[in-house]
Amino acid sequence: MVTLALIRDTFREALARKIFWVLVGLSTLMILFFLFLLQIDIVAGGVATVSRFGGTVRTVEATQVVSGVYGAVATFLYTFGMFLAVFASSGLVPSVLEPGRIELLLSKPLSRTHLLLGRFAGNILVVFANSAYLVLGVWTILGLKTGIWSPVFLVAIATTTFIFAVLLSVVVLVGVWLESAAAATMISVALMIMSPILAQTSMSMRLLSSEWSRNVWRTLYYALPKVYELGKMTLDAIQSHTFNGYMPIWTSALFGIAMLGAALAIFSRRDF
Amino acid sequence: MDSEYAIETEDLTKVYVSRWKRREVRAIDGVSLRVRRGAIFGLLGPNGAGKTTFVKTLLSAVRPTHGTALIFGRDASQPEARRPIGYLPENHRFPTYFTGAGMLDFYAALSGLDAARRRKLIPEHLELVGLSEWASMRIGKYSKGMLQRLGLAQALIHSPQILILDEPTDGVDPVGRRQIRDILGRFEERGVTIFINSHLLAEVETLCREVAILDKGKVALTGKMQDVTAGKGYRLTVAQPPDALAEELRGRATSMAVRDGLVDFQFSSRELVNGALDLLRAQHCEIEALAPTTSTLEEVFVRTVQK
Repeated sequence: MVTLALIRDTFREALARKIFWVLVGLSTLMILFFLFLLQIDIVAGGVATVSRFGGTVRTVEATQVVSGVYGAVATFLYTFGMFLAVFASSGLVPSVLEPGRIELLLSKPLSRTHLLLGRFAGNILVVFANSAYLVLGVWTILGLKTGIWSPVFLVAIATTTFIFAVLLSVVVLVGVWLESAAAATMISVALMIMSPILAQTSMSMRLLSSEWSRNVWRTLYYALPKVYELGKMTLDAIQSHTFNGYMPIWTSALFGIAMLGAALAIFSRRDF
Repeated sequence: MDSEYAIETEDLTKVYVSRWKRREVRAIDGVSLRVRRGAIFGLLGPNGAGKTTFVKTLLSAVRPTHGTALIFGRDASQPEARRPIGYLPENHRFPTYFTGAGMLDFYAALSGLDAARRRKLIPEHLELVGLSEWASMRIGKYSKGMLQRLGLAQALIHSPQILILDEPTDGVDPVGRRQIRDILGRFEERGVTIFINSHLLAEVETLCREVAILDKGKVALTGKMQDVTAGKGYRLTVAQPPDALAEELRGRATSMAVRDGLVDFQFSSRELVNGALDLLRAQHCEIEALAPTTSTLEEVFVRTVQK
């Protein structure tokens, strides 16, 4: 009951922030685009005629069209969608720590761990709901229009939520430590930007001259969350049904657990 | 819940250490205080005396450096110890996305009330604080006094055994203050312990039966209200004393005032007032009244913190 109340409160607060509505609005626009503007005519043998805004664009394999759309939606979720989600979430922890609000929450019969994890879970569910709305919406529309129902696309809901949860652990840590939404956003976005750079490990090993700098690079690569690789893994899974190892998943999960653990440790010791 | 004390602190100390200069500030320093179950207790002190830190240690929002804080005999740092507490913070910041009813629903759920009880209790408590008509209005539109009353409803909704109120009438108009006093009176009759932290001395004097004054982080004075305000002296009212006698008594009294043919003398001790009575009776003067006088809480407060 208490957990549910904390989750509902996070939902309410998220919905009160305009940036979440921007995310929902963009998802809705995408769904409407696939619903009304993208004309797909299935011809015998699985060949589709695809047209945008009435004009014929090209004729391709139906599976290729569907796979391309899935890839575009997943890429939107990992890039722009993730940025928006991090921006929108960055204030949700510092807002709870405001004087006059935190004392009242702490006066209730719940532990600090429960309070912070409830907030964390609520935030994840907000993003889960939004990505499920977009992915399920597009999947259903394309399924109805093409007859192709590829369940592997639904993996994008889980992976998007997972990547967001890892980044959210950083937002929470910075939030309880510095009480700054701006700092939480900057550090999380920096991690997102660093991810594709650090992913070029084999090339950097050739370019770096000293063993020391190579070790630093390797440490950063393994320690930090692999946002880029997780996105790429999902795209590969959607488009070619291949999956290259689980290392990015478990190293990112470990990073998230460590960040969340540190956030809980700081939060449980702080005076308000 | 077996303890006879609602609040019990022993040598409670909080030392803040500044991050860079390593300078220590003792916000509260060895505070030992006991608040009986069912008491209405006022905590007073000048700014920076440590009142807010003391209250926050009771709620476990601040971790004490040393000492213990118990709520009904349970360590205040345990979440279960806070179940019987209803708390109204000073300078509260309730999220403005709530409606009045929504806010009560949220905090009542955190206090452990199930949905059915919340549905029953929310309208009752909105009625209690006179906000029924505003139940579905976002609280961003509420005035400060309305927010204060809603905050009080939030503190009361789960039938707490102890109310900890930080400046409960802050920003409330006189009618609203009276209403809050009446509500607190009803909860006092039910045996609820009420702990008030306030700057408004007259308010504390009216409401509280016991009081403590914190100064520089330490308990400077504690006791029953009637005891701490007692012992100022005696007022002797005499009907038209002869001028010479009046002058004589004026020299012994701390003050003299004439009104409607009566003269009030203020004496600082029992011996002085008895001596005056002997003189008056010897000259067959009419004595209108004799009454012990008390200090106001403000006088006690100023005396205590200026020592």
